[in-house]
Amino acid sequence: MELIVQVCVSGLLLGGIYALISIGLNLIFGVVRIINFAHGEMVMVAMYLTFYLNYFFGMDPYVSTLIVLPVMFLFGVVIQRIIVQPIQNSSANMKIFATVALSLILQNVALIVCSGNFRTVQVSYGMGTMELGGIFISIPRLVAFFAALLSVSLLYFFLKNTYTGKALRAIVEDHTIARLMGVKVQKLYLLAFGIGCAFSALGGVLLMPFSSVYPTVGIPFTLIAFIVVVLGGLGSMGGTFLAGLFIGVVEAVGGTYVSPALKEAIYFGIFIIAILIRPQGIFGKGKGSEEVGLK
Amino acid sequence: MRNNKLKTAATIFLLGLLAVPLYFTSTFVLHMFTLVFFYIALTAAWNIPAFGGKFSLGHAAFFGLGGYTAAILYVKLGISPFIGVVAGTFVAMVGGVILSFPLIRLKGPFFTLSSIAFAEVLRMVAVDWRALTNGSVGINIPFKPSWLNLTFTSGAPFYYMALGLALLVIGLAWWIRSSSLGYHLRAAAADEDAARALGINTAKAHFLGLMWSSGLTGMIAVFYVFYNYVLEPGTAFSMDLFSLQPAMNGIIGGMGTVWGPVIGAIIMTPLGEFLRFYLGTIQQGLNFVVYGLMLIAVVNFVPGGIVSLIEPWFKKKKSGDSSAADN
Repeated sequence: MELIVQVCVSGLLLGGIYALISIGLNLIFGVVRIINFAHGEMVMVAMYLTFYLNYFFGMDPYVSTLIVLPVMFLFGVVIQRIIVQPIQNSSANMKIFATVALSLILQNVALIVCSGNFRTVQVSYGMGTMELGGIFISIPRLVAFFAALLSVSLLYFFLKNTYTGKALRAIVEDHTIARLMGVKVQKLYLLAFGIGCAFSALGGVLLMPFSSVYPTVGIPFTLIAFIVVVLGGLGSMGGTFLAGLFIGVVEAVGGTYVSPALKEAIYFGIFIIAILIRPQGIFGKGKGSEEVGLK
Repeated sequence: MRNNKLKTAATIFLLGLLAVPLYFTSTFVLHMFTLVFFYIALTAAWNIPAFGGKFSLGHAAFFGLGGYTAAILYVKLGISPFIGVVAGTFVAMVGGVILSFPLIRLKGPFFTLSSIAFAEVLRMVAVDWRALTNGSVGINIPFKPSWLNLTFTSGAPFYYMALGLALLVIGLAWWIRSSSLGYHLRAAAADEDAARALGINTAKAHFLGLMWSSGLTGMIAVFYVFYNYVLEPGTAFSMDLFSLQPAMNGIIGGMGTVWGPVIGAIIMTPLGEFLRFYLGTIQQGLNFVVYGLMLIAVVNFVPGGIVSLIEPWFKKKKSGDSSAADN
């Protein structure tokens, strides 16, 4: 009994990070309408940045967010401007090709520049745990969870209450009408890509104290993020957050009770089943889903 | 007649290809040709669902299923790979049946994603199911040269087999594309809803397309695995080698056309080997950076692929046919 609670808690905390990465994807997906196959690579780039900031300057991973997040925001803006914008009006497949190409380039540039070795950040609290009613809680995971909760709340507030946030939501609802209402769509695309990228980057930074980075670390994140977005519903931040936690728990439970090697297989299985049974999402209704190929 | 000239040229070219192993004894040259033929076959098989606008990044699933089936039958039960080819094709098609659910139900990007997930799941199962697959250690095909064992002391038999496979799959792709199935798929690629409204059973067309594609990929895999003597989950279900590479060949050559995959494989395979061997020793991974840049260039400047640049020359002769199904 205690084991299952322990496993669920640890999965739930990891799920917070999945939620962050997925919310980044959801924003890009919902606003820019691009299937970003390079999403996990953004997490990877952020993880490497965190690693090198620690390696060369001894910077604490949590402090490095101050540098990594703005850099990754810019990175996202540049990608939108250079890679995505020229093919904004091409077919869905062309957009996939372009982002697949981007993910290949990022992965292999990382391999060339950083080598294929697993890199970790050594911090004193990396293995730190606290006990709560017989359950051991990893401190970096707890921090990650609350940071995720906080930043998702901030984004939610931003989207609900500011003019720019409302404009972004209007784009998710209907591009053409948003444009007709005078929303500067191109500029907001840049903003959405930047924010989406920064959110994924935050996920990457928060992962660093307790996991390692290597060039292909991003591939599962791309798939996880899509699973979470599909389960949570396009355009639904709350749904995405819950779905992220859900996938975290599924991974932890599956990894413990079935086989650690198969834990990923389990949520890919869930993905395929979920997408077949209820492609409009479990929690949200998935606004504009049809346009991007979800019916 | 220009058509006759073309036929004569093609015949001479084919005879030339048949003579290659007689004149080039260098294993490198033979290996390169064999590899190109394998990739032509794999890309042309990958390309069949693309007639219908469906873009898979998970064909490694069918490759792995076919290869593993034949290798397990041969190594564990001593069954000849020639029976293994049939079994491997069949098992790959069973994989195709499973992937056909998302194929029919989901549009573009979500089919692509589920195909990646499908191949990844199979790779993980292959790593985990040690009793059957030997896990990450993989299966070695013992070196017992004999026709029945599909093991040879020289590279020539595999050269001819790969050439045969390439011709077979190109022929089948051409036949499928100009059959009613091909027209149904192309109609679905152009406009799924309009095709349905005209009474085309697009679900059936997509399904049949994937059946051809998965079966052929499984079949090619058996020969490829016996050519390489070894298979392990990381290569047999390799995203890079058998999902991305055929897709990239297809896109750069011209997705959804008959000759696009051929042109793509002919250009990309030697380029890939060159980058891997000559630059790869200096910088591992540089080949994929180059691929990525090429892909972005193609998407931006020649969305129809290289075939769309060459096609106008041939079009003068015959008009009407083969507009690049790019959707």
